[in-house]
Amino acid sequence: MELLSNLALGFATALSPSNLFLGFVGCLVGTLIGVLPGVGPIATIAMLMPLTLKVDPTGALIMLAGIYYGAQYGGSTTAILVNMPGEVTAVVTALDGHEMAKQGRAGAALGIAALGSFFAGSVATLIIAAIGVPLTRLALLFGPAEYFALMVFGLGLAIVLARGSVLKAVIMVVLGLLLSTVGTDLETGQDRLTLGIAELSDGVDFAVLAMGLFGIAEILRNLENPESRNVAIAQIGRLLPTRAELKRCFGPIVRATGVGSILGILPGNGAVLGPFASYAMEKKLATDPSRFGKGAIEGVAGPEAANNAGAQTSFIPLLTLGIPPNAVMALMVGAMTIHGLIPGPQVITKYPNLFWGMIASMWIGNLLLLIINLPLIGLWVRLLKVPYRLMFTTILLFCAIGIYSINNNPYDVYFTAFFGLVGYLFIKLGLEPAPLLLGFVLGRLMEEKMRQALALSEGSFMTFVERPVAAVLLALAVGIILIAVMPAVARSRQKAFQE
Amino acid sequence: MALMRAKLLRQDFLGGLAIIAVAAFAYWQARDLSTAAAGGMGPGTLPKGLAVLLAGLGVLLVLHSVKSESMGRWSVRGPLFVLGGLVLFGITVRPLGLAVAGPLAIAAASLASSEARWRETLIYGVLMTVFCVALFKYALGLPIPLAPWLVGY
Repeated sequence: MELLSNLALGFATALSPSNLFLGFVGCLVGTLIGVLPGVGPIATIAMLMPLTLKVDPTGALIMLAGIYYGAQYGGSTTAILVNMPGEVTAVVTALDGHEMAKQGRAGAALGIAALGSFFAGSVATLIIAAIGVPLTRLALLFGPAEYFALMVFGLGLAIVLARGSVLKAVIMVVLGLLLSTVGTDLETGQDRLTLGIAELSDGVDFAVLAMGLFGIAEILRNLENPESRNVAIAQIGRLLPTRAELKRCFGPIVRATGVGSILGILPGNGAVLGPFASYAMEKKLATDPSRFGKGAIEGVAGPEAANNAGAQTSFIPLLTLGIPPNAVMALMVGAMTIHGLIPGPQVITKYPNLFWGMIASMWIGNLLLLIINLPLIGLWVRLLKVPYRLMFTTILLFCAIGIYSINNNPYDVYFTAFFGLVGYLFIKLGLEPAPLLLGFVLGRLMEEKMRQALALSEGSFMTFVERPVAAVLLALAVGIILIAVMPAVARSRQKAFQE
Repeated sequence: MALMRAKLLRQDFLGGLAIIAVAAFAYWQARDLSTAAAGGMGPGTLPKGLAVLLAGLGVLLVLHSVKSESMGRWSVRGPLFVLGGLVLFGITVRPLGLAVAGPLAIAAASLASSEARWRETLIYGVLMTVFCVALFKYALGLPIPLAPWLVGY
């Protein structure tokens, strides 16, 4: 019953005219960037963060969340229609979705993608609402040592789930941690690694780092690989799938929702892996696997549901434990901090409006997406015809204005350019920037908790081993990384990521 | 000689060296920070510890670089004009305002693409700036300077 009254509070908050409007804007912008290849949710959220300075934190987070799951929706539209997945998560959708479009069944593919996503989104919303409170209670029992160990465990999982080599992921996490120590030391007030630049005494700004490494570097990457855009659209056809198709998709959607929800909670690439896992699973379970890749509707329904479920459950660690599981959630931490909110278990009790309002807004957002997405498909596709030479200059200008406006400081723009260059080097060196961002965000929190724990134990590092929960979490973190680098596992891991 | 070059051009070889260099630089920057304090951890503990760890990982990467991919082609034009456009924006936005910084950034950045057409860029740059002024300055009320030399704010 408590759940119901909480959800009622959430819906009351999310349905207020201003929050409804912000949610709508978020979904619309999210769909837009999801459609456009080369503009990811990370860059967009970083870009739009300053825009939310004027609204209250609840509205701001509702809008930013809308951008995130809106992008998941939009990415699949172009994947199906023109075989151009706007987001990584839609890569699998393109396999069978575009085949369906070629056969003149684009409408059914779009329809089932939307319906599957809506179903998964609704279930994921319920999951968040149901396990939010118990997880928060658990988190409140944690002392600083346990918290520290939990974050190490999270980083460990992120490393194992990252794309590419484990060694490189570890390097990026450590680099992120090192970067997080830049700025004034909290206890002694000494400048650390600031290179004597006064603007760095508050540390590296999160939005600046994210925008440089993702937004700007992405532009540089796209400029190097000019894609040929062949936007010829087949007949869309009827949007509603037939009853037989719906029946065939029900199982896959339910299974994918489960898989996607679980993977979404895991740190790192979790939400990205959902669609791949679902596709592989359906192909294995199918009576006739050869249909996959030739326009099997389950190959669209499953991954789309998994993708949306994961996008939403990845909010769970952020909202309950205050630990962002991926780069987008790390940006949400940045947005919350701008508004003076510290993410963590206290959010749910201190700001019940914000917590439940955001959860309810996700369900409303999913409904909005269902309504706005289908009629606007024509418009989205036309947007693809905007040449990249105009698009990237626009993105750049928006980035510049957005970054400048965070602190009204031109230095932030210079730092962004610097991290853009760093991001370009990362691309050239084959280093994935997402683990760095995660390490950077968790770094400050980890140092704080580590110091608190050591203060409590009077300087003894044994506290991390003597407290059972902390010890188990740390052992698990070391264990999973060791297992992942074992030759046999490393090989099958590589294979899993190639699929 | 050719073998040497092929080895040097491998991604992970260069990457590992770069990581080691960054780690060494960070350690050198943190040299004066103390690693001991009453609570068991000084301000220098984490930066120095992480720098050492990072250097070690960099060495591992170099050692494992034999099988890594060779470096791709580097381009100068893209980074130069895109990053240049950003820096130009940063330099001009305060003294000259968005009215100048906007078109300037767009014009500079458009040079990064070989497809750029002068007239289109100019018209587009001006239109985009007008749009941004309307959105950011007026609709959202961000305190970004418009044209201090012309209208005083």
